[in-house]
Amino acid sequence: MKIVILNGNPVENTGFDNYLKNLASLLESRNHVVTILKLREMKIKYCTGFFGCWVKTPGKCVIKDDMSNICREYICSDLALFTSPVIMGFPSALLKKAHERIIPLLHPYFEFIQNEVHHLSRYDKYPLIGLLLEKEGDTDEEDIEIISGIYRRTAINLNTSLCFVKLTSDLIEEVANEINSI
Amino acid sequence: MRLTVFNGSPRGTKSNTDILINSFLDGFMRSDGNTYELAYLKRIKESNNFIKLFQATEQVLLAFPLYLDGPPAIVKTFIELLEPLCGRADNPGVGFIVQSGFPEANHSRWLERYLKKLASRLNCEYKGTVIKGGVEGIQALPALASRKLLRSFYKLGKTFGETGEFDQQIVRKLAQPERLTKFQFWRFNLLGKFYWNTMLRKNKAFGKRFDKPYS
Repeated sequence: MKIVILNGNPVENTGFDNYLKNLASLLESRNHVVTILKLREMKIKYCTGFFGCWVKTPGKCVIKDDMSNICREYICSDLALFTSPVIMGFPSALLKKAHERIIPLLHPYFEFIQNEVHHLSRYDKYPLIGLLLEKEGDTDEEDIEIISGIYRRTAINLNTSLCFVKLTSDLIEEVANEINSI
Repeated sequence: MRLTVFNGSPRGTKSNTDILINSFLDGFMRSDGNTYELAYLKRIKESNNFIKLFQATEQVLLAFPLYLDGPPAIVKTFIELLEPLCGRADNPGVGFIVQSGFPEANHSRWLERYLKKLASRLNCEYKGTVIKGGVEGIQALPALASRKLLRSFYKLGKTFGETGEFDQQIVRKLAQPERLTKFQFWRFNLLGKFYWNTMLRKNKAFGKRFDKPYS
C-alpha cells in the first residue's frame, strides 16, 4: 500500500517525529511504501477562500507553493495518515492549513451523499484516511470524540472514510497492525 | 457593553462573514453606550493585538466560515494564540457565528460541540453558536433576497446589545434547514450548478472544469 503521512507537528519535538519515523520504518518492513511530509518545513500558505482552484484553474490551486506536491502525493496514495499533537482540543493549525488546501482535488458541483450536500469527486479514487493524535495535558475523552466526529465528516467530504483514530500513547506495533488490516 | 468581533474569514473584508457581522453590529449599536472593535484574523501580522483585544472586552464574538468541517486554519491559529489565557478568571463571554456554503446546519454540529468545549477550556462564559448555512452566493443575490437574512442578523445583534445573549428563537430559525429533502437538494443543486458555471465561464475555464491535473 502507498501511504502518505502528513506530519502536522508545528514545533521541533523529537518524541512525536520519532514516533512517525519508527512507524514508517515498521510499515516499510511490511512492504508498504511510505512518505512522510513534514509540513512545518514546507512552504504552505493559508487558503484565501476565493475558489480559484475550482473556477480559474480547475483542479489546481492558484497559489504557487508546496501544496501542489502535497496534493499529488495525497491523491496518488492508498492511505493518508493525518497526524498532529492536540492543541486547544484540535489538531494543529499547521495540519488544518494543509488539510483545507486539498480541496482542488474535489469538484465544485454538488452531490447528495448520505442525505447531505457534499462536493462531487474530481478523481476516480481517493485515499482512505486515518488519524493519529498526541494528547496534550488537558486532552480528555470528549476532545478525542469531537475530533473524531469532525474527521468522520471530513472523510465524507473527501469522498472516503475514516479507518481509525489512534493516539501516540498506543504502541507503534498496534498502529501498524491497524494499517495492515485495511 | 464592550464587544470585540473577530472576523475569521480568509476573505477578510470581502467575505460573506463580514456582511453578516455588519448587520449584527448595526443592531448591537442601537443600545446607548455600546462600543465595539472589529479585527480581521487574516491579518496575521496584527496577532499581538488580537490577544489584547480579547482581554480588554466584556464580550467576544468569533465569526467564520465552515472550512472542511472545522474552523479555517487562520481561526485555529488564533485559537492557539489564546492558549496562555486558558482558565483565567477575567476572560470575556464568548459567542460564535459559523456560516457555511452547504445549506444544512447539520454540517456544523460537531464544530458547535468543539466551540462549546473551547469556551469552557478558556473559562469564558459560553454564549452559544449561531449556525447559518447556504451563505455562499449571497453577494450574487439581489438585495431583496438577502434582506431577510440580514434583518435576522440585525435583530440578533440588537438583542445581544441589550441583554448580552443570543435570541434563541432567531438562532433556531437561522439554523433551518437542519437537513435537506431530496427536492430541496435538487433545487439547491440547480442553483449551485448555475453559480459555478457562471464563474467558470467568466474565467474562461468552463471547458477545463473536469480536469484532473494530478492523475
